[in-house]
Amino acid sequence: MNQYVLLKTDLNRWVEMARKKYRVYAPERVQEDIFFAPLLGPPESEFLTGLAVLPYLPPKDLVFPQSEILFSYSREGEKIALTVPDQETEASVLLGIRSCDTVGISWMDKFFRENFNDTYYGRRRDNLITVTIACNRPIKNCFCVCCEGGPFLDPGKNSFDLQLIDMNDRYLVECNSDQGETLINLDPALFSAPPPDMEAMRNRLEEEARSMFLPEPTSYMGTAIRRITADSVPSEVWTELGERCFDDGGCTFVCPCCSCFGVGYLAHGSGGCHYRFWDSCDYSGFTREVSGHNPRGEKGERFKRRFFHKLSYQYVKKDGRIGCVGCGRCITACPGEVGMPTVVETIRRSDTGDSSKE
Amino acid sequence: MIKNTPTICSFCSNGCGMFVRSRGGEAIGVIPLTGHPVGEGRLCHRGWNRYQNLRSVNRIDRPRIRDGSGFKEVSWEKALQKTADRIRGLLDRYGPESIGVIGSPWLTNEDNFRLSRFCIHVLSSKNLDGSFRFAGASALTALGSAFSYPFGSLGTIPRLKECPSILVVGGDSHRDFSPVGSRIIQAFLRGSKVVLADATVARKEHFYAAHLPYTLQQLPIALAEKSDILDDVQQCLSHKGLGLVFVADQVHPASSLISLLGLLSRLSNLEDSFPEILPLSRAPNLRGAWDMEIRPDEEGLNLHEMLERDDGIKGILIFADDLLTHLPSEPLVERLKSLEFVLVADRFNTETCRIAHCVLPLPLLAESEGTMTNCEGRVQKLRSALPPPAETRSVQKILSDLSQKVGSPLPDHVDFEVRKEMSRCVPGYQQVSDESALDSLPGVLLPGEKQLSAGAVFPESASSSSKSETFTFVAIDTLYGWNRNQMILESPVLAIEYPLDPMTLCISAADARALKLRMGETVTVRSKEGEVRLPVQPNEDVPVGMILLASHWKDVLDRLAGKGSVDTLTGSVYYPALSVTVEKI
Ligand code: SF4
Ligand code: SF4
Repeated sequence: MNQYVLLKTDLNRWVEMARKKYRVYAPERVQEDIFFAPLLGPPESEFLTGLAVLPYLPPKDLVFPQSEILFSYSREGEKIALTVPDQETEASVLLGIRSCDTVGISWMDKFFRENFNDTYYGRRRDNLITVTIACNRPIKNCFCVCCEGGPFLDPGKNSFDLQLIDMNDRYLVECNSDQGETLINLDPALFSAPPPDMEAMRNRLEEEARSMFLPEPTSYMGTAIRRITADSVPSEVWTELGERCFDDGGCTFVCPCCSCFGVGYLAHGSGGCHYRFWDSCDYSGFTREVSGHNPRGEKGERFKRRFFHKLSYQYVKKDGRIGCVGCGRCITACPGEVGMPTVVETIRRSDTGDSSKE
Repeated sequence: MIKNTPTICSFCSNGCGMFVRSRGGEAIGVIPLTGHPVGEGRLCHRGWNRYQNLRSVNRIDRPRIRDGSGFKEVSWEKALQKTADRIRGLLDRYGPESIGVIGSPWLTNEDNFRLSRFCIHVLSSKNLDGSFRFAGASALTALGSAFSYPFGSLGTIPRLKECPSILVVGGDSHRDFSPVGSRIIQAFLRGSKVVLADATVARKEHFYAAHLPYTLQQLPIALAEKSDILDDVQQCLSHKGLGLVFVADQVHPASSLISLLGLLSRLSNLEDSFPEILPLSRAPNLRGAWDMEIRPDEEGLNLHEMLERDDGIKGILIFADDLLTHLPSEPLVERLKSLEFVLVADRFNTETCRIAHCVLPLPLLAESEGTMTNCEGRVQKLRSALPPPAETRSVQKILSDLSQKVGSPLPDHVDFEVRKEMSRCVPGYQQVSDESALDSLPGVLLPGEKQLSAGAVFPESASSSSKSETFTFVAIDTLYGWNRNQMILESPVLAIEYPLDPMTLCISAADARALKLRMGETVTVRSKEGEVRLPVQPNEDVPVGMILLASHWKDVLDRLAGKGSVDTLTGSVYYPALSVTVEKI
């Protein structure tokens, strides 16, 4: 890993350089909401500080969109033409992504690329360089600190390209990949070597940031993981949580780690297309079989399954981490008020009769 | 590049704020608008998947006219001329009362307003109605009579969470309308008492403090008389600031809701203000269509009369409604099919298109501008998120062309001019000409009438079902109410989420055991009027003594219940609970 210092007054120049070669995505406000959108001018600096800024959707939709056409076909007489759409595969930079979402993208990489390289995902991912901003200050719903999802990325443990750490008038820039280095090389003169005390300052900032999270959920996460793994959560708890769930799928759509999709097709006359779209394990149709039988017809069952996948050791072992990065978006999106922290707390409070062991 | 257009979901009466996301004119996704008061950054699964029906391939792509047993595509000019000729023919031969016009809760206020003007001023007909005659009209009639019309806003969704107690009539009001359900859960978490009234479920969810196993018809009587209703339920309901939610589409007859309102006001001594009331609907603009007077005046015929009476109509103009699937009985369906002229202007190729003489393509709501009024009485602006296909034409254009051709041209007003007119002549809508208020996120909330009008306390109807060893047969209007909705059918994920209710009888698992019935075995169900044979489906969630069948199996219901009951206040047809016997074959 290499470290540099970038003055904030030089940020726009650097971004300008980047815009010449890349499509640069950064947080942008539309009405009261924030989106990652391609920059047409300088970035909005309020979104590039140590204060956490989370667009409603994680940037996963830049690599795994809500819906996309896989291929379309048309027939003329005997001739059938197949087209794979030219996806947005322009070389891109994602500026202002937060630690949690960066970890989310690494999780997606595992799902879409590890055992099987998904072309559609891969084409976009290969062309995306991430510039993360570490969070000196979390916002209301953040709990990344309990999920190893932030508030700072650890160059030894996390994979990322660049991480900017806000130090008032400058950023400490940590570069963790060759792709990151290409961005530095856009204008190396803007980046200077950090003074010797900067590392200590970085660590102090990280410590300070970590201390700003509310203490509760941190300690509960472990309990929830243990109980879910041991299947010792009373079934009434799942039933009650399930009763609060509206099957809307919002939590899965906004989750940086949810990667389930369905495939549909549209056909008209002599042509048509196949497309894929975000699906949700909240939906009763997700597991319903052709016969009509549904192994997880009950809401509580589906709810349990979802959290089993997110939190059980079985999956931690397989995926290397829990399926939650602590961004708190499920809290925003859930009409039933059963986002991750509530579930974790409810599980901790549920009496399994063996609380002495906890 | 992705375009994010802030607009309103037009799936149901809640009107949540959302961004429709598109690329190159193609819808690719949807996300909630966090600052919107109804959804507050949340959507239900219909909302989240709305983008799917925005690119349906089942759109009507060209005007077409009947040609023998099939159709042929024609130019707009020809289709409109043909329609105008047929209208003129009917007017000349039978007079204006031979034509009926169907407006729609899937049209904007402006378009409904234009339609009602067209019907009255161009056709001089008074036969104006909507398919909500059979699902929604009874509720709105009841509210109009309990509170003097216009009742405006009777409550808001965000305020529901502050109600110390809430009466939920029918579990669907919670389950199917997540912004409302969300506030019910928030109220519960704040310590409010939530009471569920639902005769068709055996079990209540944990956030309900009590469950009253009654239909809306039985509920006022039960509350007034039954000693087995706990005092504390009565106590709960007598709180000041009670919230009342129900699915307007499920209210039958109007008098049952009037009785309930009367009774609740008596229980809680409401002098000054009445509780928060939310009449939900599965259609996005039930309130708006009603307020734009898509309904007959005293002299006109309602939809039921148009089709049922011998001196009913000869031709019908249907706008944005799959009317055929909404008719509650087979004879009405047959009448519709046998009319001399049927015009359908719609978006998708529906069942009703197939029986039309002329079919005209309309843009989707997501391709249109205009306003809609949600269940709270909130008037909100739609923004066109997608370009309409070239061959579609707006209702404005169609009506202006048709009125020219019929010979009495209507002023061709654009939306904001129509809103100016609305603000002058639609009761309660004075503020809709305030464009900047309409452009704001909360839209315009109609002024509310919270005082029960004198005499609203209706005598309780005496139709309480007598308990006996027999079963109670209830036609339930749940899933089907959604899956006759074309927007559901055109969204692959939602079509799976809303499977068609099969023609099977749901019976409680305990009753099935007692009758030695297994899944799929056939029984004979007998009522006073007739009998049917159908397979059963035992279900833990069905209460003992109940038999449930989805309400769209019209011929089964016709056989068991005769012709159904007619709501004398509204002309709506419905099937009240029946006493039946059940026998294993
Ligand atoms: S969850 Fe952590 S990493 Fe994500 S925005 Fe909040 S503080 Fe930053
Ligand atoms: S509740 Fe109704 S308006 Fe809101 S997202 Fe769902 S369907 Fe759309």
